[in-house]
Amino acid sequence: MRHTTARLMGGVAALVLAAPAWAEGEITIALNEELELVEPCMASQSNIGRVILQNISETLTELDPTNGQLKPRLAESWEEVDADTWRFKLRSGVTFSDGSAFDAADVKHSMERTVSTTISCEIGAKFFGGMKIDVAVVDDTTVEITSDPAQPILPLLMSTLTIVPSETPVEFVQTPVGTGPYVLAEWNAGQNIILTAREGYWGEAPQVTKATYVFRSDDAVRAAMVGTGEADIVPLINQNDATNPATDFSYPNSETTYLRVDNMTAPLNDIRVRKALNLAIDRDAFLGTLIPADATKAVQMVVPTTLGSNPDLQPWPFDPDQAKALVEEARAAGVPVDTEIEMVCRIGNFPNVTEVCEALQQMFADVGLNVKLTMVEVAEWVQLYSKPFAEDRGPRMVMAMHDNNRGDPVFSMYFKYACEGLQSGLCDADLDKMIADATAATGDARGPAWQPVFKKVHEDLVADVFLFHMVGFSRVAEKLDFVPTIATNSELQLAQIKFK
Amino acid sequence: MQKFLTKRAIASGISLMILVVLVFFLSRLTGDPTDLYLPIDASLEARENFREIHGLNDPLIVQFGRYLGDLVTLDFGDSIRKSRPALEVVLEAFKWTLALALITIALVSFAAIVLGSLAAFNVGGVFDRIATFFSLIGASAPDFWIAIVAIVLFSVNLGWLPTSGTGTVWHWVLPIAVLFIRPFGLILQVVRGSMITALSSAYVKTARAKGVKPRPVIFVHGLRNGMLPVVTVIGDQAAGMLNGAVVVESIFGFPGVGKLMIDSILQRDFTVVLAAIMVTAFAIFLMNILIDIAYAVLDPRIRY
Repeated sequence: MRHTTARLMGGVAALVLAAPAWAEGEITIALNEELELVEPCMASQSNIGRVILQNISETLTELDPTNGQLKPRLAESWEEVDADTWRFKLRSGVTFSDGSAFDAADVKHSMERTVSTTISCEIGAKFFGGMKIDVAVVDDTTVEITSDPAQPILPLLMSTLTIVPSETPVEFVQTPVGTGPYVLAEWNAGQNIILTAREGYWGEAPQVTKATYVFRSDDAVRAAMVGTGEADIVPLINQNDATNPATDFSYPNSETTYLRVDNMTAPLNDIRVRKALNLAIDRDAFLGTLIPADATKAVQMVVPTTLGSNPDLQPWPFDPDQAKALVEEARAAGVPVDTEIEMVCRIGNFPNVTEVCEALQQMFADVGLNVKLTMVEVAEWVQLYSKPFAEDRGPRMVMAMHDNNRGDPVFSMYFKYACEGLQSGLCDADLDKMIADATAATGDARGPAWQPVFKKVHEDLVADVFLFHMVGFSRVAEKLDFVPTIATNSELQLAQIKFK
Repeated sequence: MQKFLTKRAIASGISLMILVVLVFFLSRLTGDPTDLYLPIDASLEARENFREIHGLNDPLIVQFGRYLGDLVTLDFGDSIRKSRPALEVVLEAFKWTLALALITIALVSFAAIVLGSLAAFNVGGVFDRIATFFSLIGASAPDFWIAIVAIVLFSVNLGWLPTSGTGTVWHWVLPIAVLFIRPFGLILQVVRGSMITALSSAYVKTARAKGVKPRPVIFVHGLRNGMLPVVTVIGDQAAGMLNGAVVVESIFGFPGVGKLMIDSILQRDFTVVLAAIMVTAFAIFLMNILIDIAYAVLDPRIRY
């Protein structure tokens, strides 16, 4: 009996001691879903970006989303040659992790690959769709990039293009090669991805030498992993789990929640009804209850740190009496205000989305509007949110959460408000011209060109119902010196993480 | 026996083919997956290009013909999500589900048979009360609740076990424990009922009258005759586990086929859905064969 007990205890001890001891410089990051791909041209997807972007694959320029400034990365400088051409001077002495030298040919290949029709790259579709881009190699450290139509924000667009070696095939890769400070050491499908710091990186050697990414879809489990020592950073935790001020941070996540209103269909085509919708909502009641207290009331499609955001716009007040008066005024004028308006919300769009939509429905009913709530899953929501819209559709509002972390309104305003915009619920010729003019504006004139556009949408047309600029929550182990920012929504640069 | 196996293989093959046809067409009724894979602002050209790359522009019957042709060489196509062969994706996930299922069902079977037999031997006794307790728990407590409570207790508060993951043997304790409870409660009751019948038969009474000790009475004379319905229920529970335990896989981060299937359905990754169904169906077919063989081993009167 004693021998058996001793053997048993020895076995237990062996198993306990076999548990991994975390070495200095190593961290574990728990993501909310598994990466389907480790392909650099898909790095605009949040979780892929958190692993790949600026860790394995770098870009020519880098956006600082906290202040909207563009910084050099693989390009040291850039200048406008003419209206549709920019020249980029590339950093010399940079090598890829496979030892090959970084040069202009790699930039050319990276662009051609990203916009190729042979593969479906998200970066190509999201940022370079609808334009023809040509990259000319001037010499090993100089490229000239021409776009048609002209892109005044081309340097900003180059902050999205991940650079790969010119030998990279035009197909999704399983072992990405980049100029970044890390290499993909292991990818155990379904279990983890391991990045390790590499020798020969052109920049400063990072303190984090090894990062293990694990995947946990349950919010509570993910949050608990920091407390049990199984993870050091959880970029996304649920608001309800963010209870420890020592480890939990909220950060603006560049998402704006709003109701896209179909301005073409009665009664929503009447500005009095759209004003009533805005006045009916007690936005303050949501903050700190269904919506995190750190979220802010939105007045435009982009967050305040975006170039051209209008600081003079004010949120709609909560004034149900005025809303009722406007509804009655519209009714007296013959507007069919009793028509059922469908409000479409997407299941799982953000925490408490169902409750938020139910509360909104009640607020609209309180001012005399007939709103029916429909909760749909993502595939059906996409059909209702994007054109083509059904010809025989009734009046509809669609709840959406729009992300613009690129620092310029051009990524939002055309799609959401131009007549041909895929998600636009209106068509106003003046607004179209204002958007086109602001899109073409350059330098110091660009910001001031966008501000009147936001004013027109919010105050003159009252096109939509803006709700909140959202926040995300992260948990960071106390041993780390790292504060999540707006960038954490789309990337997690390991080189920025220090140990206390 | 060979004739029996051949007949079963043919019957199962026909069922699998019908399943392939049904799932292929029904899954495509859920709609076009393009919108789920491209950014919301992707141009119409980008969407058309995506459909062209993945063969979604072809008429459905052409897609089906191509799929059947590839199936002959066990090519299930590539996963739209992961850009890798669908079969490879499914087999990677299935090995985790298979390991979880086999370990759990082995432990469940052993524990249920022992405890159920002891409970039947002395109805109303200690073992019988323990059996009733576990059966009630298994029938009433939902998996996700048990899982979260177990994590809070054993991982967060006591620090004895990891919260999730697959790394060491300790990572498997909680997931197996959660998966264990429901089938254990059910099989326990089946064993108990079957053994009460077996132990009240004349030959068992004779054995006890002749002074045979309780252990051989229960586990030699009674058990063998009471096992047939138990084997049926064990097989049914094992089949359920082979389909994947979505809740356990999601909470504990086990990359099994259950979660893979749910995610693939939601993302309209048709090739993975079909491959997962085929692999699981084949595994269940093999398991049914094993159960039939078990019947023959347990009862010499059964011959194929």
